[in-house]
Amino acid sequence: MNISSIPPAQVADRAASAVAIRGTALEKSYRSGKVSTTVLRGLSLEIGLGELTLVSGPSGCGKSTLLSLLGGLLQPDAGRVHALGVDLWALAARDLERFRLEHTGFVFQGFNLFGALSALEQVMLPLGYLGLDSGTARLRAEEALSEVGLSDRIALRPSALSGGEKQRVAIARALAKQPQLLFADEPTSALDAASGQRVIEILHRIARRHNCAVLCVSHDPRLIGQSDRVLQMEDGCILADRRQFEQKELTA
Amino acid sequence: MIVALARKTLIHEWRRFFPAVLAVAFSGLLLLVQTALVLGIFGSAAVFVDKSRGDLWIGYPGTRSVELGRAIPLDSEIWLRLDPAVARVESFLWVDGDWRSRSGQGAVSVSVSGIEPGADGLMFARALPAEMRERLRQPDSVIVDHADLDKLGVSVGGRARINGRQVQVVGAAQQLRALGGVNILASLDTARRLRYLGDGVADDMRMTYYVVKLHDPGAAPAVAARLNREVARHGFEAWTSSEFSQRAVSFWMFETGAGLGVLFMSLVVCVVGVVITSQTLMAAVAGSIDEYATLHALGVGLRELRRVVLEQAAWVGAGGLLIGVLGSAGALVLAFQHDVPVALGVIPGLICAGLVMTISLLSGMAAVRVLRHADAANLLR
Ligand SMILES: Nc1ncnc2c1ncn2[C@@H]1O[C@H](COP(=O)(O)OP(=O)(O)O)[C@@H](O)[C@H]1O
Ligand SMILES: [Mg+2]
Repeated sequence: MNISSIPPAQVADRAASAVAIRGTALEKSYRSGKVSTTVLRGLSLEIGLGELTLVSGPSGCGKSTLLSLLGGLLQPDAGRVHALGVDLWALAARDLERFRLEHTGFVFQGFNLFGALSALEQVMLPLGYLGLDSGTARLRAEEALSEVGLSDRIALRPSALSGGEKQRVAIARALAKQPQLLFADEPTSALDAASGQRVIEILHRIARRHNCAVLCVSHDPRLIGQSDRVLQMEDGCILADRRQFEQKELTA
Repeated sequence: MIVALARKTLIHEWRRFFPAVLAVAFSGLLLLVQTALVLGIFGSAAVFVDKSRGDLWIGYPGTRSVELGRAIPLDSEIWLRLDPAVARVESFLWVDGDWRSRSGQGAVSVSVSGIEPGADGLMFARALPAEMRERLRQPDSVIVDHADLDKLGVSVGGRARINGRQVQVVGAAQQLRALGGVNILASLDTARRLRYLGDGVADDMRMTYYVVKLHDPGAAPAVAARLNREVARHGFEAWTSSEFSQRAVSFWMFETGAGLGVLFMSLVVCVVGVVITSQTLMAAVAGSIDEYATLHALGVGLRELRRVVLEQAAWVGAGGLLIGVLGSAGALVLAFQHDVPVALGVIPGLICAGLVMTISLLSGMAAVRVLRHADAANLLR
């Protein structure tokens, strides 16, 4: 199946946006020694294109585990993940790598930038592996850095950037690949309030402008107001699924 | 690759990689200097052959190294001169002796090489200036190696006794030192007089070796083979010069166990080099493991990440090799200035360089294994 040929979904109605990721009956438990901790037991959910979905909940409730499963980083014990119509965990390891390379971006709590590279090089690096030539990669990288507001910082190494700027470089690195799926795990937790606000705004804008599915996972309640949809998670279960505009309608 | 991650990281974090470069450099230095020393020392086992001209060596059958020679029949010279391929035959007499520079002082064990004193002599033609060689015509005169003067307790022009007979040092030449002991040159007549034959024993006119020059040097292997068809009748064996030189070197290298020692030492150097270099490279990979894991999450294959680590190992190897070669060059120059025998050919040098690159690539392969931890799920907590 040709994954790249999936047409970008045209989303008119945000309340019922096209499904980008579908997780079905996901189970995951961790074994350390003889002790086995079950984190997810039969969780199902859908993530839509063109919107920022926030998974919110207390620390240790299984948010990061869920993101790993949906992002193709960690294999579920049971259940399925369909991303862009592809059954992720039916793919061979190299095909899964290829799928991630072509369709997904990740942003982590630690920015994980290479100390030796300038902001521009950080963003260009994955593009090289996509097979882009140097000129195209440079244009795309500059575009992505400009989108996160770092046009004047492209020559700087991480040591010369603030935490918020580093996280924006990390977002640009994920964005420059032009993924349909963007995953962010606690992207604001290492940042001060203003920088965190800026980062979540950028993620929100990316979801709308590029019509991609942004799945953000955080225990930070300040992000709730910036999301299109909030999944309230606790102890491995989704307790509530709210759309922000529905809420506003209700309160109006 | 449009971003040279391996090289940029190497330069930016040079402090982190420097111990690995140093470990490789030291391994290279040790291997090169050790090889040069071994080749220098054991090469001097063949100094008699290598410093002489002449295409064939004729000696006692089965002789394994120059200093193990025994007298061969007097008629050998006639057989040789009768051979149409032979242009010249020169005698070489080996005499063991005790050297005393002053009465009451301990003796130094020496070997005296009795050679033709003529200006165009074959023996030691590459080590002796013609004019110095002529001085050997003076009875009971000897030439010693410059570096042995102190050990022998004389200076040029001084006198000493060999096997109780007085000799005068008429010159000091370079690079006469042989592995077996102190090498002293004298004319054939002087050497014969220096022999201690035992009381009442008639003089022995037999020689230890003949050095032969052929009309056609290229025919040496064929002539040697032809002469050796009649070893039993002649009572001597013939070797080409390079063959006899090799014989002497491999005798000292392997019969004495020194060769195995050298191989063992090289193995130790390589193992230590790999251990230190791989530890440093592994630490460097571990230090960037979150970044590698992020690339892996973004879809960059483990194979591509491995290539980055191996490229770093190759650069570390190249840098270490460069420093090692420069250091070795310095050490060898120093050794040369102090008459320490060192020699290094192209092939042994390339083998050492190959070992150094092997050390760094093996270390790189060890460091690659750290990438197993480049699992993006570890970034998610
Ligand atoms: N690799 C692991 N090995 C063992 N237990 C783990 C591992 N990763 C997470 N856990 C446990 O699983 C639970 C859920 O973790 P996680 O998904 O990281 O939660 P969250 O991101 O919501 O804080 C926690 O109790 C955590 O201790
Ligand atoms: Mg978490």
